[in-house]
Amino acid sequence: MVNSRKITAFKIIKVAICLIVAVTVIVPILWLFVSSFKDDREVIAYPPKFFPINWTLMQYQNVNDSVPILSFTKNSVIFAGLVTLISLLFDSMSGYAFARMNFKGKELLFGIILVTMMVPFQVVMTPLYIEIFKFKLLNTYAGLILPRATSAFGIYMMRSFFVSLPKSLEESARIDGCREFRIYWSIMMPLCKPALLTLGIFHFMNNWNDLLYPLMLTSSTDMSTLASGLATLVGNKVIKYGPTLAATMISILPILVLYIFAQKYFTAGISTTGEK
Amino acid sequence: MVKKKKANIGTQRSAYLFILPSAIILAVFVFVPLIASFIISLLNIDVFMRNVSFAGLANFKKLITDTRAFNDTFNTIYFTVLEVPLQIITALIISTFVANNTRLNQIFRTIFYLPFICSLTAIGIVFSMLLDPNMGWLPYLLNMVGLGGIAFLKDAYLAMPTLIVISVWKNFGYTMTLLTAAIIDVPGYLYEAAEIDGAGYWKKFMKITVPGIWPTICFCIVTNIIASLQTFDLPYIMTKGGPDFHTETIVQYIYDRGFRTAPYSLGYASAISVYLFLIIAIITFIFRKFILNRREEANAW
Repeated sequence: MVNSRKITAFKIIKVAICLIVAVTVIVPILWLFVSSFKDDREVIAYPPKFFPINWTLMQYQNVNDSVPILSFTKNSVIFAGLVTLISLLFDSMSGYAFARMNFKGKELLFGIILVTMMVPFQVVMTPLYIEIFKFKLLNTYAGLILPRATSAFGIYMMRSFFVSLPKSLEESARIDGCREFRIYWSIMMPLCKPALLTLGIFHFMNNWNDLLYPLMLTSSTDMSTLASGLATLVGNKVIKYGPTLAATMISILPILVLYIFAQKYFTAGISTTGEK
Repeated sequence: MVKKKKANIGTQRSAYLFILPSAIILAVFVFVPLIASFIISLLNIDVFMRNVSFAGLANFKKLITDTRAFNDTFNTIYFTVLEVPLQIITALIISTFVANNTRLNQIFRTIFYLPFICSLTAIGIVFSMLLDPNMGWLPYLLNMVGLGGIAFLKDAYLAMPTLIVISVWKNFGYTMTLLTAAIIDVPGYLYEAAEIDGAGYWKKFMKITVPGIWPTICFCIVTNIIASLQTFDLPYIMTKGGPDFHTETIVQYIYDRGFRTAPYSLGYASAISVYLFLIIAIITFIFRKFILNRREEANAW
């Protein structure tokens, strides 16, 4: 009896702590959301009110006057979107070859790829800048997308997935005379949808949110992404609070919506990361 | 026989074609830069790439006596030493609370992961506003309990701890997700056996949960240390390294030296990168060794 009461008390404490942490996590994000509907006066009012008194869309209507939000968003979509699509193709092709085909130097090449996974970005940052400069690709989409068009982690993850598929799959296809690319594209890829979604979300989120990389490779505001452009504008205090709130909300909205609809794919990739 | 060999060569060639795009990209944009960074650190070279000349070890000699680099190393280590344990302990406690797959716990886990998916740019902007001494929410609330006028980001002693807390707030959900997955994999009969022996919550946590997920904890420690040593985004957005360089990190200094402040010395920036690379490599190595020994101990318990 005493024991069970103790257990219930402990359960209540656990839930209470979780609730407090949950509130701490949600309040700043909720504050951003509701504050983006305040008018100019309320945004800077003191004492501050958490919720707006007069809900208004004015910050969203005027945001493009002070922040080039349309161009930032376009750049983020093109950069993160194309990086995701291209690296899904290249990562899965390499992963497929390493998992299902035999060729000379396979182990060595895969070992080298795993090593590149451990190279910190800051170490290659300066030479990468020089390369992109020499290729005359600074401030271009190609310069932003090319270095990210594949990743060691993606290859590793796709390989782990392809290894888990039964061998009989491509054997029957080979007997039917299918070419290697047909087997990969028409037989393997449809089975990979969960893995591709997981890796795709991983790539999209990382590139959408990345700061230092686009900051370094794009010096003009026309080419800035949401993350790098907002960081620069806010840092230089050139925009007012109201538009900043609306622009910041817009910048996290796509990922939030994606999270609401595809939550399990956000965390599914983590188990792959943790295996090593 | 001949035909089989021919087919084999055919698949070999297509295998190379499959990995060709990735191989070229990784070679050009990771491998060459990795080697080049060591070479560039020995050059006098600026962002416009005119007047390139060999500098020998001059950049490294300069680095040894550079007080700003020393200060930034201190800040980076300060950040890492507090952020990583705080974040992992928070994540560990919370993950033992929410490991059971009840509906409520799933909702909690969904919420706790939320900050991790938001960009540090957005988070930095939001917290800068929330902490603003003139109209921010937190100073306002603190004012009501008599702690008025604290400028968190402008105070030499408070700025870094503030950034650390925000970083923990952002990242603990990720670590929690990893640890929760590991806790679910710990066999249930171990807990049942311990309960029969009359073990309490704390004892079960220390003797079953922690040893059971120790490899995952190690993984979290090492990856979080590496990530913390590379901190850039939060101080760049929230403090610009201030007040008076109290929150400037090594990566910020690399970026500033190479790309922001004249004479835009890429050679010196590269030397600092190599220096950071060595710090990361040494700490990772020590930790892996240290942790691997500990792990055997944990298994022996």
